[in-house]
Amino acid sequence: MDERVETRTAPVQVVSELCSRFRCTKSQCAACAAVCPVPGAVRLAEKGAEVTAACVGCGACASACPNGAIRPLEDDGQLAQRIRERVRSGEVFRIACSRARGRVDLVVPCLSRLTEALVLEPIRGGAQRVELLDPDCTTCGLKKAAPQWQRVIAFARGLCEVAGLETERVASVRVPSGKAGETRQPAETPNSRRAMFRAIAERWKEIGKATIPPDETAEAAPIRPFREVVQRHLENPKRTDLLRMLDALSGVTAVSKTFSVAGLPLAQMEVDHRCVGCNVCETLCPVGALKHRDEGDTYVLELDGAQCTGCRVCEVACYHQALHIRETVDLSLLFERRSVTLVSSTRRTCRACRESFLSEASEFCPSCLLSGGRRDAVARRFFIGGNQSDRS
Amino acid sequence: MTERSPVIPREAVDRSFAKRGPKQYTLWIDLEHCIGCNACTMACKAENNTPVGVDYNRVIEIEEGDFRDAQKTPNVGVTFVSMPCMHCGRPACQAACPVGAITKRKEDGIVLINKDKCIGCRYCSWACPYGAPQFNAEARVMEKCTLCVHRVEKGQLPACVNTCPAKVRFFGELNELTVLMREKRARSVNIAVSGADTRPSVQYTQ
Repeated sequence: MDERVETRTAPVQVVSELCSRFRCTKSQCAACAAVCPVPGAVRLAEKGAEVTAACVGCGACASACPNGAIRPLEDDGQLAQRIRERVRSGEVFRIACSRARGRVDLVVPCLSRLTEALVLEPIRGGAQRVELLDPDCTTCGLKKAAPQWQRVIAFARGLCEVAGLETERVASVRVPSGKAGETRQPAETPNSRRAMFRAIAERWKEIGKATIPPDETAEAAPIRPFREVVQRHLENPKRTDLLRMLDALSGVTAVSKTFSVAGLPLAQMEVDHRCVGCNVCETLCPVGALKHRDEGDTYVLELDGAQCTGCRVCEVACYHQALHIRETVDLSLLFERRSVTLVSSTRRTCRACRESFLSEASEFCPSCLLSGGRRDAVARRFFIGGNQSDRS
Repeated sequence: MTERSPVIPREAVDRSFAKRGPKQYTLWIDLEHCIGCNACTMACKAENNTPVGVDYNRVIEIEEGDFRDAQKTPNVGVTFVSMPCMHCGRPACQAACPVGAITKRKEDGIVLINKDKCIGCRYCSWACPYGAPQFNAEARVMEKCTLCVHRVEKGQLPACVNTCPAKVRFFGELNELTVLMREKRARSVNIAVSGADTRPSVQYTQ
């Protein structure tokens, strides 16, 4: 019973298998903690990010997490559905937080809840322009989350630019603070308190239904060891939504244009000759963007650029520092979806440990050669001549 | 040269076990009296049930000297160096592990690999200057000397120490052992590898 109360009080859920910190302890990712406006609501524990009951449900962490590991109770799909219902072709679609004054099309708890897919959703629906009403975030209690929605706007504008749309179609507008209300069609919402409360109650009922976890299955699931868990790569729902959205943007011919990777959930990378084919980057990649295949004696490592979220797990995990993330990224990769070959190299099987490695020079893998050689080297270096004095 | 192995009293081991707070269990290996019988290697294999090719403890033989010069007295010898995991104070393997599978326990200083977390990437093997971590190809995880943590926790000695027929291997808390080494006037060898400041805890005397 207590557990159920606990689950309900945290308004977001964390899918730790997608969290960079859970998969690689060397990951320095703090995207969620950096934007969380409530002290102590996000904890960066060893088992990845955790959201405590202190969370106020602004949704900034969900928007900031590149891997889609944090899921708010009203998920992006439901929010997108609400946008689709209200968007009117050829008009301006206004989104505001509850602090902005005026009548808008959609009120979200905080603008930082919006993802790039949600910001572009009205444009897909035919809206002329999307406006985010900014009631001066610097005076808001949640101001730490504000940089997140500004990053999202920048990313959405970048996507517009690459897609050949005017960047002005996504904009933020400063408005006085006050209380925002949603405009609706009169038929839908008769102006009565009863109807309003009923609508709220209906929505909460839906949310409540969606979030009570099926207890029996949770208990029945066996605890799998970490090394088996990381072999599986879950789908990143945020990226799936974004790619589906970009597909649906009508009349798009992507233009190649590079942007700085700072603040963008994307990356392009190179792998140099130091790669030993250990597959750690592939295993630990939270979203499964890196894939290897064996073509006979050739080891091929490929990057699915459209899935990569730039979390840098691969870069920090690589012991040999063979993998380098570029400073810039071409946003058109989200439209083109080409796999990039990072490594294509001859693979051999070690005679000692039967593991494959990338080299043509040796019959033993560098790892086996190294540990044997090191034992010998240490023994020779420190103990040779040890008994000389006794014998002389 | 001492006449026989510096056997340490059981009380010293008991003092090590009884010590409270953070400590560093380790081994003292007296190479001066090591006869290279490999009993430690075999006891370890039997105790930890390791497959072929995986040995937590290996004895390296180094032949030295020269007998070819007729003018000089033949001066040849062999040194046996038994090499388990050094249970370093600052383990290079722990720093290299991408998934945090390697931990150094505060309560006894033993460096352990969590086989549930280990993904078998062998980064620890690349990092260790002593070649201690070994790849178990069957289980596809890394393994290494655990200082027989399952025995030590029950107050028993590690299998290699228990077995050593020449009585040149001792188990105890690092500070206790260094005091004993000083008492026995054993010639200590510092095996810290320059460039890899890992602070190995295993003590060698020669």
